[in-house]
Amino acid sequence: MPPLDGVAAGTGELLAVRGLNVSYGESKVLFDVNLHIGANEIVACVGRNGAGKSTLLKSIAGFLKLNSGTVTCNRVNLVGRMSYDIAKMGIKYVPQDKKVFSDLTVQENLELGSYATKDYNWDRVTDYFPKLKALMERKAGFLSGGERQMLMIARALLGHPKLLLIDEPTEGLAPSIVSHLREVFRELNKAAALVIVEQNLPLVCAIANRVYALKEGRIVAELADAASIRADVCEKYL
Amino acid sequence: MSAQLLTSGVIFGLSIGSIFFLMAIGLSLCFGLMRIISLDQLLYYSVGAYLTYSLTLVTGNVWLGVLGGVVVAGIVSFAVERLIFRRIYERELTFSMITSFGVLIGGIGVIKFFWGVVPRPVPVPLMAQIDIIGTEVPVYRLIVVAIAFLVYAGIWLFLNRTITGKAIRAGIENVEHVEGLGINVSRLFTITFIIAGALSGLAGGLHAPLIMVDPSMGLEVLAFVFMVVIIGGLGSIKGTLISAFIVGQVVSLGSLIYAPLAQMAPFAIMLLILLVKPTGLYGSPLLKR
Amino acid sequence: MAAMVNAWRWWWGILLAFFLVGLSWLFLPLPFIIEVLIFSIYTMGCSFLLGRVGFISFGQPAYLAAGAYGTAFYLFYFGSNPYVGILIGILSGLAVSGIVGPLFVRLRSDYFALVNLALAVIIYYLMQKVLAGITKGDNGLWFLTNIASTPVLDLGKPDHFFIFSILVALAIWAFYKYLDDSVFGACCLATKINEDKLKFLGYSNYGVRLLAFVIANTTTALAGAMYAVYLGFVSPEITSPARAADPVVVTILGGTGTLFGPLVGAIAYTGMKDVISKLIGNWELFIGFLLVFIMLAGEKGIWGTLQPWLERLFSRKKASPAAGEGAGARQ
Repeated sequence: MPPLDGVAAGTGELLAVRGLNVSYGESKVLFDVNLHIGANEIVACVGRNGAGKSTLLKSIAGFLKLNSGTVTCNRVNLVGRMSYDIAKMGIKYVPQDKKVFSDLTVQENLELGSYATKDYNWDRVTDYFPKLKALMERKAGFLSGGERQMLMIARALLGHPKLLLIDEPTEGLAPSIVSHLREVFRELNKAAALVIVEQNLPLVCAIANRVYALKEGRIVAELADAASIRADVCEKYL
Repeated sequence: MSAQLLTSGVIFGLSIGSIFFLMAIGLSLCFGLMRIISLDQLLYYSVGAYLTYSLTLVTGNVWLGVLGGVVVAGIVSFAVERLIFRRIYERELTFSMITSFGVLIGGIGVIKFFWGVVPRPVPVPLMAQIDIIGTEVPVYRLIVVAIAFLVYAGIWLFLNRTITGKAIRAGIENVEHVEGLGINVSRLFTITFIIAGALSGLAGGLHAPLIMVDPSMGLEVLAFVFMVVIIGGLGSIKGTLISAFIVGQVVSLGSLIYAPLAQMAPFAIMLLILLVKPTGLYGSPLLKR
Repeated sequence: MAAMVNAWRWWWGILLAFFLVGLSWLFLPLPFIIEVLIFSIYTMGCSFLLGRVGFISFGQPAYLAAGAYGTAFYLFYFGSNPYVGILIGILSGLAVSGIVGPLFVRLRSDYFALVNLALAVIIYYLMQKVLAGITKGDNGLWFLTNIASTPVLDLGKPDHFFIFSILVALAIWAFYKYLDDSVFGACCLATKINEDKLKFLGYSNYGVRLLAFVIANTTTALAGAMYAVYLGFVSPEITSPARAADPVVVTILGGTGTLFGPLVGAIAYTGMKDVISKLIGNWELFIGFLLVFIMLAGEKGIWGTLQPWLERLFSRKKASPAAGEGAGARQ
């Protein structure tokens, strides 16, 4: 499966999700979710804990089975594909758990990211996080929370992904690291679309082009213009 | 107890421990990566032994037989993985236990069908003995131990120096993250399963000259392999090595002291260790996916 | 009046099942039915452990042997009353499961299965070699002639033993149904599905599991004791690891965790065994492939698949209008 180019003809739309319904076992988590992502957008997903934000990202990335609905990237259907095939298509999921492969070194973690994508340009990805350059030989289990988050993102950047699905990146991190990540996301946006699930409203308001608010498994609002993307507006939907 | 008796006891224990180790690695790796209990490894052990027997009969060369045993065991495990295990990876642990037990029992039936129930002897490839501290020690047993250490070194190199091995170690920690990097974990599972099967086949082939080959041989070592795996802890190669040799020595030296209890001593040790560490010496906790 | 109706509702399933079994006495050979009954009691323990508590045990032969050898020792060396013998067998099972239970039950499910199997192997070895002095090793203990005639039901006679077996099976079934319906039964299910919730409710997971373990394995020992009296003979074969699959297969065949699964499974299994062993001598081949096939095809088993269907059939009158999709109904 060749990596996808940026933009589908005409619409500028990279990812389209229609009528997504997902269950965990017997309990339904997502109800008729519709959203779309443009090739150069930063889209944020906000909502309370348990609203279904992670489930949404996981479903798009191929880690969960859908009850019904379609997910297309540049008109190519993603539903039913294996998660690793979707990753190779240029859609990378960065999970919430801040877990890296602790028994492997930072370099080996990157090496695994390079294996499938054939992109061994570690300098490029660590340029975003210069701190990692000094930590290449360190076992990833000894990294701090912030360093681990950086490694996870760096790893995902290998292979020039077109879409990054990032799950609560700033959770539990110090403000200085959060601002660093904010700038990194702006930089990344020049080459890729970002979907960021976040509880950190100031961050969202600073960088997001559009915001989806999720409540109890449904999209309850879509904020599409700069004026309405304000913390007090977002809070209303939580 | 004389030094000679002790020496031969230790060597015996080392060789039997080596056999246990080769089989336990398979169980441990399969659990660590795929979160399955692969009881059918004992079938590949029997397959290795029986192929060694037949090929030795045909070619006259036991080492060729062992090689053949390893290859066929690998092929059989590949077939089982593709046909059966692939469908049950996401299910819970007990599922794989029951299914693999079915494969084991069914496989024993297949063996009975082709080879009958009469135990078969396999000649020892080297009848030479070497003198150590005044004891005559069979060179073959020393070779078995040497092979086990070579395998350990090989596995270590594989897991630490090859990208596939690193992917497996990463997968043992978190398969989903490995998937997310675009790596085909399904293929990783198959590779691991074949390695496990081949190693079990090697164990069977090496063990064959030391015992009689019979259809229920897998069931006879079953308990010991389990105890090794439980004591060492599922998912740890180092733990498997250590506990394999502990169990080997206990069985061997124990039988010099008081034969009937020797077979049961590992069981007692296992219980003791489980009392203190319910996941074994180096076991990894069962991480929920 | 209401109490009688309730009692009937509670009992009718069990009474019907065993009435049918009793009736089959007219058509089927006695040894077959007796074997089915004892075997289903044997499986009941395993089924309860697997279906309700979520623990698979490959070591059921260990507890079967505990019961069988307990009874055998008594009848061979000490006395001749088969009832006492069976009681001793039950107590042996209680003792063994009480001793290993506290440790085994702490383990997670895979270790639990393996450790039980190791126990079965150890007991096999014990009976075959270590204690061969008193167990007579592979030759086994023969005590058929020792069994004295007893009033009411002379267990030495097959006909009477059959009646005894039916009564015992009935009692066992009633007991397990009672357990199912009781708080304890609910706790067992809870401990399988959601440990943490159970803890928060104030119950001890460990305690529930230990009690279930002891109950299940004592039931198994009872089956062993019955085998001993029925056959008048016990040998280490009864605990050979090759037989470890039997109760598991039957449990799954019949349907895990259902009340009648073990009975249905035992009938199917024993029936198949007779037929198959006449056709192909290779029992392992058959049972292995059967097990794999069942696991891949669907783990509900025969009864497990029938049961929901039968339930729908019988409760059609009580059917309520289908509830709308709960959460989705909210606007």
